[in-house]
Amino acid sequence: MSAQPRDPGAAAAVAVAVMSAAASRTGASESARSVFLHPVGRAAAQIAIVLAMLVLWQFGSGTLFPRVWVSSPSAIFARLVQWFSSGSIWGHMAATVSAAAIGYVLGAAAGVATGLLLGLSRKAEQILSPFVIALYSLPKVALAPFFVIFLGIGIESKIALVAVTVYFLLLYNTLDGLRDLDRGWADAYRLMGANDREIVRNVMLPGIMPWIFSGLRIGVRYAFTAAVLGELLAGNQGIGYLIESSAGQFNSSGIFAGVFILVVCSVVATEVISRAEKFVLHWRN
Amino acid sequence: MAHQLIELKDISKSFQREQTIIAALSPVNLAVRREEFVAFVGPSGCGKSTILNMVAGLLPPTTGQLSYDGAPVRDLNRRVGYMTQKDTLLPWRNVADNIGAPLELACHKTGKTGRMDKIRQMVELVGLKGFEKHFPGELSGGMRRRVALARMLIYDPETLLMDEPFGALDAQLKLVMHDEIQRIVSLGHKTVLFVTHDLSEAIALADRVVVFSSRPGQIKIVRDIDLPRPRDVFRIRFSPRFTELHEELWDELKDEVKKGTDT
Repeated sequence: MSAQPRDPGAAAAVAVAVMSAAASRTGASESARSVFLHPVGRAAAQIAIVLAMLVLWQFGSGTLFPRVWVSSPSAIFARLVQWFSSGSIWGHMAATVSAAAIGYVLGAAAGVATGLLLGLSRKAEQILSPFVIALYSLPKVALAPFFVIFLGIGIESKIALVAVTVYFLLLYNTLDGLRDLDRGWADAYRLMGANDREIVRNVMLPGIMPWIFSGLRIGVRYAFTAAVLGELLAGNQGIGYLIESSAGQFNSSGIFAGVFILVVCSVVATEVISRAEKFVLHWRN
Repeated sequence: MAHQLIELKDISKSFQREQTIIAALSPVNLAVRREEFVAFVGPSGCGKSTILNMVAGLLPPTTGQLSYDGAPVRDLNRRVGYMTQKDTLLPWRNVADNIGAPLELACHKTGKTGRMDKIRQMVELVGLKGFEKHFPGELSGGMRRRVALARMLIYDPETLLMDEPFGALDAQLKLVMHDEIQRIVSLGHKTVLFVTHDLSEAIALADRVVVFSSRPGQIKIVRDIDLPRPRDVFRIRFSPRFTELHEELWDELKDEVKKGTDT
């Protein structure tokens, strides 16, 4: 790993070089402003920003900032290569992803189901809504130690923490969705002769889909946060554990490498949900 | 003598908004015969839509008695089809599926081929051929009104409640729709309550026109329209009798419209 001190201005130079390369590709006749409106120009600018940051980070590490805190891109990359080539990372990724995924599915399904039950019975909602609000406002991470005591340091406690977090999110979104439904839709269906079941199936379920999907999208982030938090707190597996144990050894490249893997997992999962949303809600264009 | 199909006896409606009680409708008496076409005209906020909501059973009257076919209206009145002022099309269903929605329900259950046939008929009737796969969000206001009309007509309810059904349509299309609605109503022996701002439309279509005064709404006059049927909706407004009726009713209406805009 080479790290001879260099002019930090090199980063800016690289950025300018990338931009002018993009500009010459899109045609010299275009002005500088229109270059960035063009998708290729915009992508080039974004890549340039990333490159500039990486260059600044790489060459600033050990000169501008203490390396023990910030590590460096090359060290982080080396750490990632080591994890993947030895295969040691897969077990940790599987632990975190499966805790997040199982808890997410359980919590989301239960949250939507409870939301529908409460939303369809005004009495139940009126009686139970203060409890729902109180529990929703409670930061669920505070429950993490409880789950560890109750379910141990294995995957079960992480699943429980994820499920509880996602459960309240989806419950709340489902109730909001039901409250926000155009009352005219259900009235129109009722006048046409629909029974309650037909109204639930034809009006309520499809009508709250936008709210459910917005909950599911945010829920991905919640699920990974909860899973990693559970692993940070207690455990011997998972990306959270990896980050925690790297920190214990003042191994900052391990921390950043773990965070990087987490970001990739979360982005991929969010993208999957967004695609599903576009497919189901295709009528919104 | 047989009872009237729809009877409003001293029906009034007031709403409470915070501390004040707002009277929307003063006590109103009206009886509508079976197979009668009654049009309501009057300024905005005079309670015309409120009456339709009450006849549909969506809104209970504050005072008075409302009966349908001899029985008081207590719950939803499923013998009426209601085309509300704000359309209630489902945004996630395309035009064909919105129109066919009533036929998917257990009470109007129709086999798939029968449903497709009826949807096709309705789509043609309201002039939306080629738009079957479009979603409501992609349609103009006038097209959405026509989808709502088709959805109401497809399951053939006995009484039609229509709240400004053709307000968003251009003048030519409006006449075409008038012709169709007149045909459907007489063939199907329908009873119709029809709310409109357009006095010509009311006279051209109705057996009786009810003029409402501004808030709190009450009936100002009820006028029989003695134009012979079937009417040629495209030419009827050039007939001298139409002009007479129009002038007479317009004199009643214009004061109310002025009052309505003054306040």
